[in-house]
Parts: sequence; structure tokens; C-alpha cells
Amino acid sequence: MSTVDTNLDLGILDIKDVDFYTAEGGFMGVKCKGEDYKHVILRRIMPIEHPLAYISVADHENKEIGILRDVTALSEAQRALVEGELNNRYYSPTVMDVISVQDKLGYVYMEMKLQNKQGRIYDKSCAIKDVSRNIRTLGDKTVLIFDVDGNRYTAQIANLSKQSLKKLDAYLF
Amino acid sequence: MKHTNTRTDAVPAYMLGAFSAAGVNATELLFAIHTDMAIDGDFSDTYVGVDKNNLYILYGEEKVVKIEGARRIVSQYEARRLVTHPLKGLRGLSTHTMLSTCRLINDPTKKDEEEDEKNGEDKSKGSSGKETLILLFSLGCQGFVDRLLKVIRNINKGEEPLKEIKEMDELFCPVCGTRYPEPERKLCPKCTDKMSIFMRLMGFFKYYKGKVAMVGLTMLAVTVLQVLAPYVSTRLLIDEVLTPPPVYYHGYDVHWLAQLLGVDSLYRLVGTVVLIIIAMRIVITLFNMLFQYVLALTMPWMIYDLQMRIFEAMQRLSVSFYTSKRTGALMNRVSRDARNIYWFFIDGFPFIVINVIMFAGIFGVMLWMNWQLALICITIIPFTAFMFRLLRKIFGRIWHKQWTINSQMNNMVSDAVNGQRVIKAFAREGEETRRFTEMGGKHAAVDVSGANLAFTAFPLIYLFMFLGQAVVTAIGSMMVIEGTLSLGTLLTFLMYLGMLYGPLEFLSTVSNWWARCVDSAQRVFEVIDAKAEIEEPANPIMLNELKGEIVLDDVWFQYDPATPVLKGMTLTVPAGKTLGIVGKTGAGKSTMANLIARLYDVTEGSIKVDNTDVRHMSLKQLRSSIGIVSQDIYLFMGSIIDNIRYARPDATIEEVIWAAKMASAHDFITALPDAYETRVGAGGQDLSGGEKQRLSIARTIIQNPKILILDEATAAMDTETEGKIQNALNQLQSGRTTIAIAHRLSTLKDAENLAVIKDGAVVETGTHESLMRKKGEYHKLYSIQMEGLKVISME
Repeated sequence: MSTVDTNLDLGILDIKDVDFYTAEGGFMGVKCKGEDYKHVILRRIMPIEHPLAYISVADHENKEIGILRDVTALSEAQRALVEGELNNRYYSPTVMDVISVQDKLGYVYMEMKLQNKQGRIYDKSCAIKDVSRNIRTLGDKTVLIFDVDGNRYTAQIANLSKQSLKKLDAYLF
Repeated sequence: MKHTNTRTDAVPAYMLGAFSAAGVNATELLFAIHTDMAIDGDFSDTYVGVDKNNLYILYGEEKVVKIEGARRIVSQYEARRLVTHPLKGLRGLSTHTMLSTCRLINDPTKKDEEEDEKNGEDKSKGSSGKETLILLFSLGCQGFVDRLLKVIRNINKGEEPLKEIKEMDELFCPVCGTRYPEPERKLCPKCTDKMSIFMRLMGFFKYYKGKVAMVGLTMLAVTVLQVLAPYVSTRLLIDEVLTPPPVYYHGYDVHWLAQLLGVDSLYRLVGTVVLIIIAMRIVITLFNMLFQYVLALTMPWMIYDLQMRIFEAMQRLSVSFYTSKRTGALMNRVSRDARNIYWFFIDGFPFIVINVIMFAGIFGVMLWMNWQLALICITIIPFTAFMFRLLRKIFGRIWHKQWTINSQMNNMVSDAVNGQRVIKAFAREGEETRRFTEMGGKHAAVDVSGANLAFTAFPLIYLFMFLGQAVVTAIGSMMVIEGTLSLGTLLTFLMYLGMLYGPLEFLSTVSNWWARCVDSAQRVFEVIDAKAEIEEPANPIMLNELKGEIVLDDVWFQYDPATPVLKGMTLTVPAGKTLGIVGKTGAGKSTMANLIARLYDVTEGSIKVDNTDVRHMSLKQLRSSIGIVSQDIYLFMGSIIDNIRYARPDATIEEVIWAAKMASAHDFITALPDAYETRVGAGGQDLSGGEKQRLSIARTIIQNPKILILDEATAAMDTETEGKIQNALNQLQSGRTTIAIAHRLSTLKDAENLAVIKDGAVVETGTHESLMRKKGEYHKLYSIQMEGLKVISME
């Protein structure tokens, strides 16, 4: 089978050319190849498999400036800025523990122990509608849960306790 | 204008103290909401309040504390920071949805949305570079922030702050505090117990009261006879007839039973008792047959009623319901769930009733015969009952899992059947088989785990039950030796004990059934109870003569929370005129068509037909006045003539032929072997995309709508077919208000007016010539397409 030509210009950004900063108004800006973009949007191209690699950097009109191949290659200060912005966009607290799961009238009620990116642990109960759509497994590693409000939670199967997995088991397909 | 806060839900009482402590005059607050994040993305209990001059954002944390001397723990707010924004600087507020969070942004260079529209400005141009980030919050708070924005706009416009602000929906059940999954339904799934679901299911028997009464009576008779049978066959026969010394042997006394039965010899007495035993068995069998016969006559009709209710409900529900449920799951609800309920009522429920009555009856008789031995028996029961209860819970989970996998397998089969051409084109048969095999493997694994559980748990319970029986045998035997218990009573006891375990054993197996039936009923009622989002208004307006003028006024719409597809769309189509809609994929063109036909309701703003809001119009009149020709063509199972007549079943044959000719469909129809009577749809004649499209146009011609929406009607056609269809469409458009949505701008060039849509809003309007002269968005799109065509022709 033939493969596609990968010698195309993907717009990969050289980290030497980019300088992220917090612009006036609280948005993230970037100086790149002589241009100053005061409000940029960062998007993960592979949000699950590579949350810190292949980050699309676009201007406020959604025009892609380029792709950041590896966030970890940035300087510590730059990396903190980029990760902070990504965390805000991809806000998805991690499920540490599933306390209870109850199936009632087609809705699943879940009580969970969550941890946000700042490391704060808190309890949350949520209602999930149409579980076949809103509890999704990605490969054998990750479970994404979407509640009726549109909030999303991520669980790493390997990190869940046996009891938590048992409670989730009926919905993991 | 003096603003007053007249609504109690506008500023939650628990926020007043926190705002006051932070230096805000809380009594002046007009509206306040609670959001959940700080601007840096950290967790925060953020109170956002607004008075007539300022927007206050109070960051902090609610903590539960125990105050010394107080009786209870109390909630205390620990404020961290107060940010104040003067309202006069907040004239360009808007929310930007990210993935699961939203930002409230202010762009001082933008005016209020309404002012923008009046000035014909483009709201979707994006950032001016002078934006300020005001608030960050998770998607769950979007509804509250939307209300807040509306309040601020009202204040800025000098209107009553809470004008058109919907009351905050009660989100939590007042009984158990559970979040309502659908706040407008106020149905708490936790407070709805399984028994009430079951009782509701029983309500479907109300049309069959006579038959149900007959079933009930025969079941009761069967049970009573079954309870009495061991007493007659063992206790009576052994202790009263066969045990020496039978006083009757010597002929000087008459046995009470012989007297009762009117017999005069022991042999006759034995024979009579045996005949009674046989007669009881025959009556039990006959009654059993009778109640099952009547039940079998009743149940299919009860299931028929249930399936009709589900199907009716599915017709009543809005399009959004179907987009949120997979086809496989819905099909399961109509067929499999209804069958589950059917089998439970045929094979499960009657025997539950029998066994429960039998259990009570047997135990009553045991107590009457010998209460000491009866109490020994009863000590074994709680453990057995507990084990059965545990098993029921585990089996309930396994059933649920099986149901979910079955649905997914149905979806996979449906995908494989419908996508067979694509699968073959990409030579992915092996991969598809592998996926299905994997799912089949999961199914098998669930079955195996269920079977393993059943095969290990039940034998252990039976063993325990046997040990119990052995203990009763031992104690009873000793009582017989001591003369405190007759042999007949012991044997009857042991027989009853076996019978006592019988109902328990049955209830254990039927408990899975019960769980499965209630699980199915729960899903069925979910469909029946689902509230149609689009409903006929209480007093629908019927227009005498619909002319067809369409006005979209500041229309906002979102399919998913916080993801607006239309953002303040405003446009007018005069009656009888044609408007071409142009825009990139995902701009909101088809959404607009769906909203005009009221397949969905607008989130904000209004759509008016002949100056009447479509939400106030009769749905039947509205929908029968709008014809939609889209690229998604659906032909129902039936003949071609049935499909053309679908919009108007009373159309004559001549009208159908005329419509088919108008739609350039007549020639290909007559070339088919059965012509207009050719069967199409699932399992029928295979028609090409162009042929199907022409049938759908003929269907719309028969409908004779005043408003015509052509939604990418020729997008998937080749040039020749498109030419034919375009002619048909031109015929169709004359004299009707037409909204033509197309990707290919060349097809819309001749439209009387064009509107260009970008990011859910109208950015340009005018004729082809004026828009080309303007050199704006339309010119850009047109040039790109023309360049593309040039490249193709050069190749």
C-alpha cells in the first residue's frame, strides 16, 4: 500500500521562533516570526494520546499559525503558560474514585472523587444521560464521562481502584 | 429608570452576606449567579452579581464549618478577591465556548448585539484585539451566565432588568436532593422506585379487567389446593387412616373421616382419600391450564398496547430526541424490551404470585401443625433470602451489561449492512469482522460470567438448604421417638419444607426476570414519558391564507449546551420570492431550514411567517405549508405512488402523474417493470440517488407548499442529473416563497436575493451582481469555486 507524501509543510513551529505571553485582557498571545498575535487559541490535535504534543496554534480568527510539536521542549516559563491555557480549554477533572453509580429511569447518577489540574480533590455528583454515548472508552486506557450539563471528566482505567472499576464496569464498552 | 429586584430567585439569599462582607451594597443587587471557576482555571465558588452600575465578581470558597457554641455545622463563605467592572464599560459582552469551559469576554469596541444588527455590523468577525477576559466557568454554568448577560443588556438598554429572564429552573429534587436530569420534567429518577414502575406497567391491564380477575381467581384456587395437597396425601392418610390402632378396625366405632366421607370400610376410606388426592391434582392441572390459557390470550394485547404507546410516543417526539438516541437502542425498546415484559408476565409474574401465596400458606399450615418445628425451619430462611437478594443485584448488573452490548451489536450490524459498499471499497471486510468478533467476545464473556455465577452460587445455596432440611429431619425424628410428634406430621413437615424452599428457589430465578422486566419497563417509560420539545401551542393561530413571508429576527440556536450554531441571524424573505443561502459547511444553513419548519425551537429571538411567530402557529398548518427538499431522501416501504402521495394521501392518480412529470420522474418510473406500483424503500427496487431525489420533489409538488426550502437538493448529483432536477426545481419554485441552500454558487446565481452566512450569522445580502461588486465574503467564495472549476477543466 502506498503512503501519502509527508514532505508537505505542516507548519510545525520552531520553538526558537515562538514566544508566548499573557496579553492585555488576560488572553494568551504569541510573538512568532516577527508577528505579534495578541489573542491565540491553542488546540490539541491528539487530545487523548498526546495532550502535550501537536498543539495547533491559531489566531483569533481561527487561522492556524502553526503546530507546536512538543510542549515539553519549551522553556519552563513558556511551558507553564501553554499548559495553563490548555488546561483551561480542556478542563476535564480526573476521576480518582467512583463512589457510587446508580441507574435510574435511563439516567446514571454518579458520585465521584475528582482531582483538578491544580491537584485539588473534591467530591462531585452528576447525572449522565444516554450512557452509551456519554460514557466512552478510548482504547483500553481512558474513559471519558460527559454529564447532562456538558461537563467532562476523564478516568484512567489503570489508576482506578478495583471497586471503582466494578461500579463502572457495566458501562465500559 | 429605577430598577427594582422583585423576584426572590434573582439574588440567592446565601450570597447576600458574602457580597456585603466584601463591601458590596447587597440590597442594590438585581441579579446574581454562582459559577465554579477562577480566571486561572482553579476551582472556585464564584459569586457574580450585578446592580444598576456594576458587575461584581467575588472569588472565594464555600466551606462547611463548625462554629463554637452553635448546634449545627454551617456553610461559610471565605472570600478571596472581589473584582468590579462598571457596566458602562461592558457593552460588548459575549461568551466563548471552549471544550468544557466557557469564557465571558468583553470587547469594548463592540456594542450590544442588538445595536450591531441595527447597524448591519458583522458580529462574527472575531476579536478586535482589545478584548478582556471577564470570567471563566464550566459548561454547567452556561445557562446562568446567559441569563446574567441578558440582565446586563436589559440594564444597559434602560429596560426592566429581569425582563424576559426565565425563572431559574429548580435543578434538584426537593425530597432527595438529586439533580433532575431534565429540569423541565421535574422527574426524579431516584425517588421513582421500581415498584411504582411495575405498578405503572400493571396499569396496562386495566382494559382486560375481566380476564385478569379470572386469572387471579384460578391462580388463588390452584395455590390453595397445592398447599392442601400434602396435608391430605401425607398427614391425613398416614396419621388418620393408616396409623394403628385404627379404631374403625374393630367395627365398634366409626372413624370421623369415614363418617365425614360416608364410607364404611377402611379399604373404601383409603380408596376415597386416594381419589380425593387424584381429584385435587386434576383440578390443579385444569386450573393451571385455564389461567395460562387466559393469560396467553391477554398478554399479546397488553404488549400490543405497550408497543403502540412506544411507537406513538416516538412519532410525537421532536427530532432532537432521535439525534440523541442510537437507532439500535430505539429498536431494542420497541421490540426486545416489550418482549422481555411479555415473557415476564407470561412465565414469571403469575408464578411469583402463586409462590408468594404458597409460601405464606405453607408457613401458616406449618405453624398450625407444630410451631416449634416451624420456627426451626424459619431460621434458615433469612440467610437464603439474603443470598437470593444479593444474587438478584448481581444478575441485574449482568442483564444491563448484556442489554448494552446487544444494542451495540445491533448498531454494528446496522453499520455493516448500510455501509457495505464503503467497507468493500476500502477492503475492510476483515477489520469489520474483527470488530464484530471483538464485540461478540465481550458478549460471550458477559454470558460466561453470568453463567459461572449461576453455576457456583446456586449449588451452594441448595447445599445450605439441604443442611437445613437435615437438621429438621433430625429434630423431628427425635420428637417422633419422644412421642411429641406423629410420623405423619413429620413427613408432612418435611414435604412442606421442600415446598417452602421451592418458592424461595423460584423467587431467586424470577428475581433476575423481575430485574430485567423492570429494567425494560424503565427504558420503555423513558420513551413514553419523554417530553416533546416541540409542542402544539395551547391556542394555535390558524392563518386564513398563508402568503409565505418569512422573517428571522435575532435568531440564536444551539444543539448542544453552550455551542451556538446560529448567533443572532436576522433576514427577511418576502412572500413569493426566492432567497439563496450561501455559506461554508457548518455555517448554520441547514439549521436555519430546520428552525423555519419548527423541527427545533430557537434558543433566542423569533422566526415569523406572515408576521406570526412559528411557536404560536398551528404545527399542522405550518408544516403542511412548508416543503423541504434536502439531500437526505427517505423513501418509505411501499409503492412509488404511495411515496409520492405521502404528503397528501387523497391525491388522484392524475395529480401523481402530473407531479412526477413536473419532477422529471415520470419517464424513469414508467420504465420500471411495475411502473408507479414498483415497491421501493427497504427491500424494494433499488433507485439511484437522482431518481430518489426526483421522487422526493414529486412528493413536495403534491404537497403544494407555500414555502419551499431546497436544502442542498442537488449536492450529491452529477451534472446531468442536476440539470434535470434543476428544471424540476425551477418548476416547483414558481409562485412560492423559496429558500434555496446550496454549496455550488452557480446554482443560486439567478436567485432574486442572496444571503451569505458565516459562523451562524448573516454577513452579506444582495443580488449576485451587487455582492460580486462588493468584493466581500460572497466574492471570495465564488472566486474560490470558479478557480476550482478552472483547475478541473484544465485537468
